[in-house]
Amino acid sequence: MQQLGLEKYAPLLAGYTELRAHKNHSVTIGFLKGNNVRNVKSTTSGISARVYQHGSWGFASSPDFTDNSIRQVIKAASANAAFLDSKQNKGKPALPAKPIKAEHDYSTNKPRLTQKQLIDFVKQIDHYIAGKYPDLTSRSVGLNCLDMEKLLLTSDGSYSYSLHPRSLISVGFTMEKDGNPIELYDIFGRQGQFEDVFGDPAELYPGIDQLYEQLRHKVEGVYAEPGVKDCILDADLGGILAHEAIGHTTEADLVLGGSIAAKYMNKQVASPLISLVDFAHHALGKTCPIPLYVDDEGTEAQDAVIIDQGILKSYLHNKESALHFRVEPTGNARAWAFSDEPLIRMRNTAILPGKDSLDDMIASIDDGYYLIRPSNGQADTTSEFMFGVVLGYEIKNGKLGRAIFDTTISGVAFDVLQTVSMVSNEMSWSVSGMCGKKQPMPVGMGGPAIKCRVNIGGR
Amino acid sequence: MERDIINYTLEKLKANGMDHASCSLEQSTKYEMNVETGKITLIRTVFNNGLSLYAIKDNKSGSYNVNKLDQETIDQAIATVIEIAESSEPDPAHAIAEYQPPAEFRTGPNKPNQESMYNRLEEFLEQVKNKYPKIMLDNAYFDFTHRVRYIANSNGTDFTTEKGIYRFSSMFSGHDGERSSSFNYTGYATQELDRELLAYGSLDTLLQQSCEQITTQTLSGKFVGDVIITPDCLSDFLSYVFGITIYDGALISGTSVYKDKLGQQVADPRLVIHSRPVSPEIVDGYFITGDGYQAENCTIIDHGILKTFLLTLYGANKTGLKRAVNNGGCYVVEPGEKSLDEIVSQIDRGIMVARYSGGYPSQNGDFSGVAKNSYYIENGKIQYPISETMISGNLINMLKNIIDISRERVDFGSGIYPWIAFSGVTISGR
Repeated sequence: MQQLGLEKYAPLLAGYTELRAHKNHSVTIGFLKGNNVRNVKSTTSGISARVYQHGSWGFASSPDFTDNSIRQVIKAASANAAFLDSKQNKGKPALPAKPIKAEHDYSTNKPRLTQKQLIDFVKQIDHYIAGKYPDLTSRSVGLNCLDMEKLLLTSDGSYSYSLHPRSLISVGFTMEKDGNPIELYDIFGRQGQFEDVFGDPAELYPGIDQLYEQLRHKVEGVYAEPGVKDCILDADLGGILAHEAIGHTTEADLVLGGSIAAKYMNKQVASPLISLVDFAHHALGKTCPIPLYVDDEGTEAQDAVIIDQGILKSYLHNKESALHFRVEPTGNARAWAFSDEPLIRMRNTAILPGKDSLDDMIASIDDGYYLIRPSNGQADTTSEFMFGVVLGYEIKNGKLGRAIFDTTISGVAFDVLQTVSMVSNEMSWSVSGMCGKKQPMPVGMGGPAIKCRVNIGGR
Repeated sequence: MERDIINYTLEKLKANGMDHASCSLEQSTKYEMNVETGKITLIRTVFNNGLSLYAIKDNKSGSYNVNKLDQETIDQAIATVIEIAESSEPDPAHAIAEYQPPAEFRTGPNKPNQESMYNRLEEFLEQVKNKYPKIMLDNAYFDFTHRVRYIANSNGTDFTTEKGIYRFSSMFSGHDGERSSSFNYTGYATQELDRELLAYGSLDTLLQQSCEQITTQTLSGKFVGDVIITPDCLSDFLSYVFGITIYDGALISGTSVYKDKLGQQVADPRLVIHSRPVSPEIVDGYFITGDGYQAENCTIIDHGILKTFLLTLYGANKTGLKRAVNNGGCYVVEPGEKSLDEIVSQIDRGIMVARYSGGYPSQNGDFSGVAKNSYYIENGKIQYPISETMISGNLINMLKNIIDISRERVDFGSGIYPWIAFSGVTISGR
């Protein structure tokens, strides 16, 4: 992609313009009950230009990387911006500029595996499950690898090349009890191409064995008792809370669109035990799941401290919202595909760890729940959220009890975070975060376990 | 040129030893206007291509999708799909559609009326500002997409489809001083711009409701009551039910609770659900199924009886059941006889659910989630908007526990849905 030599088009970029070459390459392999039901590769690539003119934007994209196509895309985006500017006449000033040049390539140095070798890897996991756990009603094993490659040139002088891969293996089990199917799944993997993430299939077996044991507990489980309860949200749930319920409400475009966070800046919105950060590329000395150094507007990505000891401190910005709020852009503008415009998106959003041990947290609850694995989540601009929970346990008299069936938790995040009374001293990241906001986007979300009061659904 | 590419691709795949192959080539243009915080902020023009290859050799299959059409890419794509197919595990269920007579299908305009789009969008923004001054439009997307597809396979199928469609969607909330409603959203598809945007789908109703929902009350405790599911919400519920019961995944894995229910009563006898991708009443349908068959309309639930699964050719071969005549979607639910007001008047205690925000239902149909943008109903009357209220129940049981279906329906262009009242749902407040 770097051979495209986008620099030669710099003279064509009038006003503020982004020119981005972008390729998403994915491999998907799926086994369902031993059947190789999915075996697909996809490559989507192209060039896009986005032009800013006095507060109006024009965008155009084409799948062709030819010289003529690139010139046409710039021309079409400029025409769209000019048309809208002529109609809207917003008269806004120029966007902030702080040029940066960077290259971040996370591709593997190892020889690439063939499709056959990838299929054999997945098949070996499937055989292990089939042999060891014949009592399962159904099993699925899936591999999903995504490489996102971008080359960006902006009229204000930024130039960036990046290749961000992520490789995931999902495992799902179903068992029946009294004719009712009960399922549980887990996802393994992280940032990186397959060869850097996975070695021997056997390395996954302990996690798979644990998943089976958890499903056995769940099959003998009970419905949660509905109502507001003391709960411990483990790291994956704390992460989804940070992302869905707080992170989204502080995205500056949603703040301008009516988010409740608009009225909370510099106010106490959470327990003083809560600090929440949207990390750019490193957190607590380690590389984040989605390390972003330069966003798709050519802004150097900075950590955004959203909540500091309970007080709302910052929104997440692109260039235009930073101009509106008169702050520095945080580098949160990201686009999913070549044909997509950059939107304000989170990178790696997490609550910071505290000082409590998980054991002490469980011991502190007489009647509540320890909630471990989310399915999906959604939050409102009021910060009212809901998360599906597919793995959790009762806590009775300070001890873990029976597993619970699938349930949902809900609450108003800024209220729930005020009830946080303990925060665990360990932190982990969800490996497979995916966000949907007009466009899909890989994200990191994580944190420690937190003890709070939350509404749980049930029977 | 497009047919040359398809013929070249199929011939090359056959020459390289593939037993069966299919190829689809697509060219699309999208013209889109974006609204943020009540203003038009962005205009996009997106050109794209799509080349999808599927090959089978010795019962092994693979797929490759790419969005470029130059000779080098095409030759690489052919080599790639051969490698993918040869790598897979053999399964005699893999197959391609048998020969069907060549056909061409066309619907909708072939290019946007950009001036009308802009004027309609500006008109909408002005109408919202005047009619609903408490509404904040977080976003709105108004696009026109034109797509031409050529679909052929080594058994001689040869289809061309061309479709032009306008789609509109918006997300919004009501605000009054420090107070605000939950956000809500809706969307629809249309082939014409002869009516104002506010006149389509449920848009006007939901904007009005968002103003009402600025002030909500919470319910206390829990009770088992009735719920009226609105048309916007019903489309989600039906997708959930069908997703866990009648598609390939649930039937191949054997987890579907409907696996032995074909031809049997699974719902209230008044419930009739069609899937009509090629009906004139559905403007945003499709002509060809994902596995290369000419799509037909079908009835999925007929007076409560399950009439078909939605199995692909692979799913049908795998399970020994019948292939569906379409891929589902484009649902048209038959209306009932009572008005929505009459149905509300029958409810002693319950809620009207306008948006469901919940966990994906379990394979047995259990669900729980938050009833968003919803209303409390007592003594036959809608009382007030509610917040922080959860509902839980079982989708499979709900279909059997229908109280009534409204005679009013909402046409979204991609589906037509009434309001349906169900009994026996657990409703819990704070």
